[in-house]
Amino acid sequence: MSFDKEMQEALVTFTVESAELLESMESGLMELENIENPEETINAIFRAAHTIKGSSGLFGLDHIVRFTHVVESLLDALRDGKLVVSSDLIAALLPCCDHLNSLIEDVANGNVKENPEVTESGNQLLQVLRPYLETPAAADTNVVEFQEKIESVETIAGNNIESGNWHLFLKFNENCLRDGMDPLAFIRYLTTLGEIVDVTTFSYTMPDAETMDPETSYLAFKVILKSDADKETIEGVFEFVRDGSYINILPLENRIPYYAELIMSLNEDSDQLGALLLKCGIITQRELEDGLKSQQVRADAQQPTLRLGEILVEQQVVQQPLVNAALEKQTQIKDNKARENQSIRVDAERLDKLIDLIGELVISGAGVNLRAPLSGDDILQELTGEVMRLIEEVRDSALQLRMVPIGTTFSRFQRVVRDVSKELGKDIELIISGSDTEVDKAVVEKISDPLMHLVRNSMDHGIENAELRQQRGKPARGTLRLNAYHISGSIVIEVSDDGGGLNRDRILEKAIERGMVSANANLSDQEVFALIFEPGFSTAQQVSNLSGRGVGMDVVKRNVTALRGSIEVTSQIGIGTTLRINLPLTLAIIDGFLVGVDQSTFVIPLDRVVECVELPVDVEHRDYMDLRSEVLPLIRLRPLFNISGVLPRRENVVVVDHGGNKTGFIVDHLLGEFQTVIKPLGKLFAHLQGVAGSTILGNGKVALILDVSTLIESIDRKNTALPRNLTHQST
Amino acid sequence: MSKTILIIDDSASVRQVVNITLKSAGYEVIQAEDGKDALSKLNGQKIHLIISDVNMPNMDGITFVKEAKKLPAYKFTPIIMLTTESQEGKKQEGQAAGAKAWIVKPFQPAQLLGAVSKLILP
Repeated sequence: MSFDKEMQEALVTFTVESAELLESMESGLMELENIENPEETINAIFRAAHTIKGSSGLFGLDHIVRFTHVVESLLDALRDGKLVVSSDLIAALLPCCDHLNSLIEDVANGNVKENPEVTESGNQLLQVLRPYLETPAAADTNVVEFQEKIESVETIAGNNIESGNWHLFLKFNENCLRDGMDPLAFIRYLTTLGEIVDVTTFSYTMPDAETMDPETSYLAFKVILKSDADKETIEGVFEFVRDGSYINILPLENRIPYYAELIMSLNEDSDQLGALLLKCGIITQRELEDGLKSQQVRADAQQPTLRLGEILVEQQVVQQPLVNAALEKQTQIKDNKARENQSIRVDAERLDKLIDLIGELVISGAGVNLRAPLSGDDILQELTGEVMRLIEEVRDSALQLRMVPIGTTFSRFQRVVRDVSKELGKDIELIISGSDTEVDKAVVEKISDPLMHLVRNSMDHGIENAELRQQRGKPARGTLRLNAYHISGSIVIEVSDDGGGLNRDRILEKAIERGMVSANANLSDQEVFALIFEPGFSTAQQVSNLSGRGVGMDVVKRNVTALRGSIEVTSQIGIGTTLRINLPLTLAIIDGFLVGVDQSTFVIPLDRVVECVELPVDVEHRDYMDLRSEVLPLIRLRPLFNISGVLPRRENVVVVDHGGNKTGFIVDHLLGEFQTVIKPLGKLFAHLQGVAGSTILGNGKVALILDVSTLIESIDRKNTALPRNLTHQST
Repeated sequence: MSKTILIIDDSASVRQVVNITLKSAGYEVIQAEDGKDALSKLNGQKIHLIISDVNMPNMDGITFVKEAKKLPAYKFTPIIMLTTESQEGKKQEGQAAGAKAWIVKPFQPAQLLGAVSKLILP
């Protein structure tokens, strides 16, 4: 007799059997109200429903399973005493029996397929039962879940990823023999999935003969399996012995490149690491769940959180290179998403071209603005004003295009801090704030290296080791902060630590020893701290491979200066150090303040200008003046730039801010605000200090842009009477 | 020599289908309709695997497992339990009794065959 024929016969048995069961169910229900101890009757009714459900599942009669499931759940509750027998309940159950009967009859008549109309009337009956079930929704989902499970098994099978060789390490539960599970049976079953290339047996847990229990399983096995089955399938082999056993399945080492490639070629839009590994069949659903669970357990126990990848490697369910590949893919997907969602990629060159053009537009606009009033045409003047306003707006939004949040640069340091603190054996936490602060892309690119140096320096020299910290009554864990914020047209980036602070005396001692300052110099804290940025200065007693060779801080300063920025230090001994980098928001166009000396014109960046005053007559040739009872050092631009010509009747002073200190520039005329397009100076003038670049004025003339910080410093350093020429420094 | 499997279920149709499925895969099958009936079949003959329902009249599946484990000839015989998802408590009780392999009803014949062959190949 053929298999199908036999199954047909079994189906007949099923319908007959079910009809009988339903009959006993019905009579059971009828007498339920009238008997004293209904337990056995309820049990029998339950078993009837249970059997019908189980059998109809065997024949794939899912609609009967679904219907009976609800009835069964209710009877189960009745059996457990969660429900009491009532005439209402029985009245609700009896029609269900009738319905089941008609379903079974349908099957007996050869209609194994579901009839939607009948299902609908069935659902109405079930609706009546719902109030009796505590969690009807849950019962419903159970069935759905079950169906999904079957589906997912099918997709896995259909989606079989050609894989190849596997490495299995199996240490079965000690009790497996007593449970009737023969380890060899499972290894034998593996042969149905592929070819066993090699089996190594380990007996290291086997005790001496006297103490050995023959019913206990002591052996472990290493199996090399050549199979096209995926990990899920292989793991499934051991489903009955998984509890208490150590089952480890990994692709052989030589398969890793294949899997890494598979990960990279995935066309996946989930950016979750687990999902990626699961999709490639590198880990199984259960391994993923275990990993997530242990991650949760750690989080609940307030232990330092581990990333899923780290947990999976720790649990030896996946090799590190594969996690790395998945992480790379994850970043790739995230990047793609970010790009798709919020931005258009534009060639940086095109953007630069646009900025250049706008620069030209600003210059031409300035020319028009200059000529318009001369025409005496009121309407033209009004229109010009409007055009200028628009140009300014276009300029701002074009510059905005180049702005990126500094956060991406900052977040790279998480890793750096982790690695370096491990290297140094210190426990250091990085706190990032102000990630959203935007700055010109060119600035971001160039600030990354100096920042790296400052961060490493703070970790190496700033933050003390845990022992010393505890002696000083600080938490053992050091804190490093990266912060960014905007302040009047520039961005400030702070690197601060809660370490030992700078030792003023030691810095001074060193500087004197190296002949950088004279022994009797009277310097402020600021000035002393600034010495650490001088070339060839280092106070570290021991040179580590991170920092402390005396190169670096001066390079940091040079890089920052090249960005037209400045750097300053504040530090309190025993409390910490803060390094503050002040950078212009953009490198292309700035708001400038135009000043004139004889026929020449200069631009001072507007954000550095504090105020303008007339030069008091009594100053004469002194290089300081009294500004509201404060001493204001003065710098005369006329001799500095070697300009002759007639002095005006009254000179003016532009007060500028330099790292918190004020300095006055003495000029002839104040010409007012001016949108300044920065044109870099040629290579020939690259060594000039004090000049940041040039710009073209509306009348076509060239004006030099003053670099306030370096200008003041170079004059400070000379510490002599005013130099006749710009300082030429050989670098 | 083909392996022998004892199936215990109070539903004749389940027994019939399981019987057909296993026989077609090359196993010998012995049938019992409840725990009591099954114990009487554990009379010394070689049985390689037992498949048992949990809910049965006279003697239920859990009691049967406990009894079978007492018999020296059958204490190492692997047992597969058939259960429904609503019986989590029963499952724990059964696992404690030594029945580690569970199949959730309703199941397809192929699923049963897969589970059986993991424990014993025909």
